[in-house]
Amino acid sequence: MGITFNPEYIVKVFPKLLEALPLTLLIVILSLAFGLLLALLLAAAKLGSSRILRILATWYISFIRGTPPLVQLFLVFYGLPQVLKGIGIDINSWDKVVFAIITFSLNGAAFLSEIMRSAYQAVDRGQQEAAFSVGMTPFQAFRRVMLPQAFAIALPNLGNSAISLLKETSLAFTIGVVDVMGRAQVISIRSNGVNQLELFIAVALLYWALCFIIEKAVALLERAFKKGHKGVAG
Amino acid sequence: MVFDMEFALKSLPKIIAGIPMSLLISVFAILAGLVIGFLVTLCRMYKVPVLNRLAIIYVSFIRGTPLLVQIYVIYYALPMVADWAGMKLGLPISSADLPPLAFALTAFTIYSGAYLSETIRAALSAVDPGQMEAGYSVGLTTWQTFRRIVIPQAFVVALPSIGNNFLGLIKGTSLAFTVMVIEVMSNAKIAAADGYRYMESYVDAAIVYWLLCIVFERLFAWLEKRSGRYRSKSA
Repeated sequence: MGITFNPEYIVKVFPKLLEALPLTLLIVILSLAFGLLLALLLAAAKLGSSRILRILATWYISFIRGTPPLVQLFLVFYGLPQVLKGIGIDINSWDKVVFAIITFSLNGAAFLSEIMRSAYQAVDRGQQEAAFSVGMTPFQAFRRVMLPQAFAIALPNLGNSAISLLKETSLAFTIGVVDVMGRAQVISIRSNGVNQLELFIAVALLYWALCFIIEKAVALLERAFKKGHKGVAG
Repeated sequence: MVFDMEFALKSLPKIIAGIPMSLLISVFAILAGLVIGFLVTLCRMYKVPVLNRLAIIYVSFIRGTPLLVQIYVIYYALPMVADWAGMKLGLPISSADLPPLAFALTAFTIYSGAYLSETIRAALSAVDPGQMEAGYSVGLTTWQTFRRIVIPQAFVVALPSIGNNFLGLIKGTSLAFTVMVIEVMSNAKIAAADGYRYMESYVDAAIVYWLLCIVFERLFAWLEKRSGRYRSKSA
């Protein structure tokens, strides 16, 4: 290996990586959407009165938090077709991207549910009582009073989760998904060992820029949600 | 195809054999990361010219890019650095001498250093500035005050976060297979490919990681309780 470094290659390879960006964003957005839905159920299970559901949710969250996302990805990719075949469903023809989205949704849900739960618990109980006292139903109280406040509390953590999720999607290339990282692998194999460092620096810069954008967007949202919110003291 | 329990049990010892390597990388990265994190925090606290800016970029870069990409960058950058040091500085190293472990240790240390610097900064700012003054007032030097008064208190504050970082590292070592280090995940991949039994091997790997995380979670919870003892006494 030589000691030459070509910064121009970073600029040259960038457009090629950008071509794969839509797929990376698709995986992130869909995983986040499904993850949030599943997280809502998990948080409800943990806060609910059913003991069995609470224990199941606790175990699920512990498993997801205690194992590497890479292992989870392989379990879904190799395990899910095997399990579903056992009950007569063949999913071998499914696109690899689907397995990636399933994994990152399952993974994201565990982290998101903990954020939701703690945000919900951080809203003052008196708010719910106040909503009831003006005649709202439990659902109205949840949607109009509890949820907006819990969302504002959860927002910074949700932003962090979105960033982690984005970074985790770089694992999808291991099952053959051609997202940004997958694209880099393809370029890497075709380039016969030349400009490898420059290539992966370009990949890093792309992810860095995406994280920066998410961070700024969340900060803007946070400001919008804090508007009109004043504590008792000021 | 059904779950082959016999295969799962048979390959479990092979996969368990990767634990020492995963732990070696994690422990090294957390200890070296604490040193780097502390230096980075000092640069930022005392606003050391140039270094302060570099520290901000370093932490932002590591937190804003996937660990996997960082490993690749190190994998290709380290040989260049080694060759450069060998040729230009005359040091007795070259890229050919670098063992796979060197890539993993470098990548994971740089990674944990950035995250730990945030932990350390938060912990140091949680210690009352009066503690520093109190140290000076009894005639301790800055370093003595740090070592004997501030760091022990900051450590207690930082412990939960250090624990989380450690668990993150254990899970992160599953990526070390990309630089040919044989740890838990690599062994699972080998077992899977040997027996064409993918799910069984990865279920094994998942259980191993899960148990490791639970054990270390308990250990850190115990450490936290132990090191926080002085608090209840003074309260």
